[in-house]
Amino acid sequence: MREITYAQAINEALRQCMKEDERVVLLGEDIGVYGGIFQVTAGLLDEFGKERVIDTPIAEAGFVGACVGAALTGMRPVVEIMFIDFTTVCMDMIINQMAKMHYMFGGQGKVPVVLRVNIGAGRGAAAQHSQSFHALFMHIPGLYVVAPSTPYDAKGLMIEAIKNDNPVIFVEHKKLYVEKGDVPAEGYTIPFGKAEIKREGSDLTIVATHAMVMRSLRAAEEAAKEGIDVEVVDPRTLTPFDKVTILKSVKKTGRLLVADEGHKTCGVAAEISAMVAEEGIFDLKAPVVRVCSPDTPVPFSPPLEQAYIPDVKDLLPALKRLMEYA
Amino acid sequence: MATEVVVPMLGITVEKGTIVEWLKSEGDLVEKGEIIFIVETEKVTTEVESPASGILAKIIVPVGVEVPVLTLAAVITEPGEELPAEYATRAIEGPPGKAKVKTQGEQAPVSTTPPQTPATPTGSIEAVPAARKLAQEKGIDLKTVSGTGPGGIIVIHDVEAALKPRVEPAVKVSTLARKLAEKEGIPLEGIEGTGIRGRIMQDDLRRAAEEKAAHGLGKVVQMNSMRKVIARRMAESAVNAPHIYFFTDVWMEPILDFRQDILPDFEKKFGLRPSVNDFLIKAVALNILDFPILNATLKGEEIHILPEVNICLAVALPEGLMVPAIANADKVGLAGIIQQRKDLVQRARSGKLSMDELERGTFTISSLTQYDITYFTAILNPPQSGILTVGKTRDELAMVDGEVEVKKVSTFGLSVDHRIIDGAVAADFLQNLKWKLERPSFTFLTV
Repeated sequence: MREITYAQAINEALRQCMKEDERVVLLGEDIGVYGGIFQVTAGLLDEFGKERVIDTPIAEAGFVGACVGAALTGMRPVVEIMFIDFTTVCMDMIINQMAKMHYMFGGQGKVPVVLRVNIGAGRGAAAQHSQSFHALFMHIPGLYVVAPSTPYDAKGLMIEAIKNDNPVIFVEHKKLYVEKGDVPAEGYTIPFGKAEIKREGSDLTIVATHAMVMRSLRAAEEAAKEGIDVEVVDPRTLTPFDKVTILKSVKKTGRLLVADEGHKTCGVAAEISAMVAEEGIFDLKAPVVRVCSPDTPVPFSPPLEQAYIPDVKDLLPALKRLMEYA
Repeated sequence: MATEVVVPMLGITVEKGTIVEWLKSEGDLVEKGEIIFIVETEKVTTEVESPASGILAKIIVPVGVEVPVLTLAAVITEPGEELPAEYATRAIEGPPGKAKVKTQGEQAPVSTTPPQTPATPTGSIEAVPAARKLAQEKGIDLKTVSGTGPGGIIVIHDVEAALKPRVEPAVKVSTLARKLAEKEGIPLEGIEGTGIRGRIMQDDLRRAAEEKAAHGLGKVVQMNSMRKVIARRMAESAVNAPHIYFFTDVWMEPILDFRQDILPDFEKKFGLRPSVNDFLIKAVALNILDFPILNATLKGEEIHILPEVNICLAVALPEGLMVPAIANADKVGLAGIIQQRKDLVQRARSGKLSMDELERGTFTISSLTQYDITYFTAILNPPQSGILTVGKTRDELAMVDGEVEVKKVSTFGLSVDHRIIDGAVAADFLQNLKWKLERPSFTFLTV
């Protein structure tokens, strides 16, 4: 099959949806002429014109608010926030407006917005452009939170997000944009709430998100050389969340490692660990281990940043520690 | 009041015994009827029950010392009672080389109050949830499980391991045997224990070692206790009892056909298959009723004609011979003989015969029918006065009404103690036995 990058896969999903449905419009900073800071929207301005691909001022609260309004009146806006770090300036729009409207008006209105953000450290972008606080959105009822880890998932989940009638926080990962993978040319969707087992194994389950999936697969290959058979489960969407697949995997292996690039405290990994503790504790042969970013801001210094990012260097020792619980 | 515990009488010919294991220690509470020690004799191993409830105040006979039966082995006192002074200094030296270690009298002063239960470690037991759940499901007390996980936490494997012994019990081995095994470097695995509950005894170890050693020339093999008994008794018998031997050919077809004839109905009714030996045992028992002197024992200058007819059946074992006796073979029916015979042979092979079963015999049958042996002589099994030998059943040409016919024939031999049985009596006995076996429908009319 044809290989394209993660960024190209999202671009293709947007293009296909825009072709199919003229209510789909894009808004964001530098998404038109420049093609987006990570080139996710490259070429779309030329193809669909400036009425559907709108370069906005640096005023997130304003243009996200505009998207909520547009969605309520029947449009299907896809809005890009250049870095997830900048959602903090439009949280009112996201949490109090976008997520609440459908509930507050008894279902009379709907807000089919897709809010694209990206997370991840590793580009030397310092503490305000490298954060991974996607877990914040999981905390808010009324928002879907999507976390694609491969080009294939990115395209399928993006089309599903645009077709979804509810607000979706579409969380991309900076380091994945250039990763290539098999992606069908035609349009397809991946249903929300359906995890995928990215690697089957019998000794230990890693539930991983975003770039941690790729890193976990590498760690699993390393561990396999020592006879540790690792299963890697990718939830793909954080809200809704596929408990069944995770609990089934934990039942099989008895050992759980949760890998997410967000901070450890109150993060995605905390939520998954708590869920397993509540519903699957008697299957556990060992304590749950979380491999996450430390509870500090992302450092600017490249060596420190590398040390900060959870990777194979952190996963492998954690795996081995878990296997000590024979 | 203090109660004395003695090494019990273990049969008429048994004079000595060795305590191979104390199941209780000094100061332990014991219940009347509870097994407190295990004693081994030349022939069997027996559990000895406590004759009273109280405190095992003093152990006098340590493990590993051969003592005469009825030797004072221990003293049991009532709770709160002082150990009477006359026992305080009583002690028997332990086996050479370990006297100091094993004389339990030297241990801490005898306590006459119940011992304190050792304090159990307080605080929670660390176990992973899956292990905890498994333990709960299988009814395993986590206190009894030792953890091998990080920091000593109980992991699932530990609980699984704790489950296993219930299925495959650990090797049970007597203290002496374990020491011998350690000393000689003999692995305990694969050795069949003949002690109580399959416990591996010293003799089993020796036997295992001998079996290895026996295959080959130029070796010296230590006799085990069974071999020693056989050696002593056979020599005594050969020297003391003048043997005379008698042989006759028994026509076997009638008894073989008779057996075939009744087999289906017998099996249907009793669920048992009589062997030729079972008929033979019965016929011998009935024949003894006609010749009671063959059921006699010589004691000094008295001939004791014994009241019960208990027929011994020699059972060949890899390490020797056991001769358990079928009790009251004259009185019990054929089905009863079969049941006893099967049970005794099986228990002889697993070393689980009681003293009584080995001692009660009054006459012995030794059969080598499965070998290509025409006939043989046997040494009397003392204190018995008669032993019957049975050779293979063979084809013989015979003249019947002027025609040559093939007959199935077995040569029976009889050895008797000439001190009390004369040749004519013995001949008569054997001839009558032959008659009985050749006319089975009449012989077994009432069986």
